[in-house]
Amino acid sequence: MENLKIVVVDDSPFSVAMISKILEEKGFEVVGSANSLPEAVEVVSALKPNLVTMDMTMPEADGIECTKAIREIDPNLKVIVISSMMDEEIMRKAKKAKISGYIQKPVDGDELSLLIRRIMAEEELFVELEQLYATAFKEAVTDTYNRFFKSIPAYKNENSLNSELVSQGITVVMGIIGKYSGRMILDMSVDSAKKVACSLLCKDNLSEEYVINMMGEMANIIAGNACSMLNKKNEVFGLRVAPPTVVYGESITISKLKLDTVTSVEADTVFGEIYLNVGFNRSECDE
Amino acid sequence: MNREIISAFSSAVVNIMPMLGISNIKLVNERKCGKQIESTGVIGIIGIIGELSGNVFFAMDEACGKKIASYMMGGMEVEEFGELAQSAISELSNMLAANASMILSETGKMIDISTPTLINGAFTVSSIFSEVICLEMLVEDMAFNIYLSVKEN
Repeated sequence: MENLKIVVVDDSPFSVAMISKILEEKGFEVVGSANSLPEAVEVVSALKPNLVTMDMTMPEADGIECTKAIREIDPNLKVIVISSMMDEEIMRKAKKAKISGYIQKPVDGDELSLLIRRIMAEEELFVELEQLYATAFKEAVTDTYNRFFKSIPAYKNENSLNSELVSQGITVVMGIIGKYSGRMILDMSVDSAKKVACSLLCKDNLSEEYVINMMGEMANIIAGNACSMLNKKNEVFGLRVAPPTVVYGESITISKLKLDTVTSVEADTVFGEIYLNVGFNRSECDE
Repeated sequence: MNREIISAFSSAVVNIMPMLGISNIKLVNERKCGKQIESTGVIGIIGIIGELSGNVFFAMDEACGKKIASYMMGGMEVEEFGELAQSAISELSNMLAANASMILSETGKMIDISTPTLINGAFTVSSIFSEVICLEMLVEDMAFNIYLSVKEN
């Protein structure tokens, strides 16, 4: 597999040699190895691999502790546990530590090769989503405003910081489900939302209920269109949106969420400022 | 709403809470309520798609959120409903919805769930469907309500 660098971590030099030989026979590049946690940290820092095979039992630290230590160097590092033991407790710990896969010793070369190829294909797919989603969601907002109001929002302050959000007054939460799960948040002031609803229905004054319905419908259109655009780029994403939930009130704080990728952007529109936040999570190991 | 759906979510609480070390759980009441849900402080929102579509809301006040978060963090004292506690309650929402989806899959209903969104403050949640089922529960004698706003596809 092109450009894939692998490091083998195992306290037994025999196992390191065996696993390295199997990987090389299958066409993978093994760039280094380590027999302990400190060595693993040193090798990962120096060689910057994409994937590490990890023994579960080592003299001073187990495979999970070692995984945590090397993930501090590279949070996106893929780790496959290779161990003679495979029980529920180990699987639970591995899942919690977001281990990408699990292989039992003695290692079957075909099984290991297939697992690595599958993990790397998943990673490429997530990278593709990361490159596409912010543009798709902004384009969906732009299209919606252009179609309804013949006006184009001016985007500003785009960032990928995962932080707490304080609503301007009315916010819509859209759950996203598919190959990767995520969520979209659309937020604006009550005044802006009223102006949008009044403009859409060509009325001067509308009840709160209309404004809430309009916000839900608008967020549904934006998220639905953005997910359709992404699915057209790659049908494997298979993204769908759950129905909208509209939240309004005097104080709304949306917690910082554990998301693997997030984009926030503000936009000036004819009816005031809007705020869009979209994020996704990588799927967890379900082996 | 189908009994299986309602019982999947109440069973999820009964299954998950003891794993966190919380054994004092009671289902006090089940009632129909309107689409507007007044927050008592904290609400976790999860989207549902599949053979059911809609949302589920896990609602509690901050004191209950802090108490559950404390259990989830191995008994650590939680003085304010800050980032750690918020993250714990997000995770709890995820665990409860995932467990309910597993129970539903055993009855042949396949659903997928979105990532959770946790909101705190003084606000109202407007659900998409006009009929919502509220499961009023007591967790350590503190109100913990589950609002189900879903329909079968």
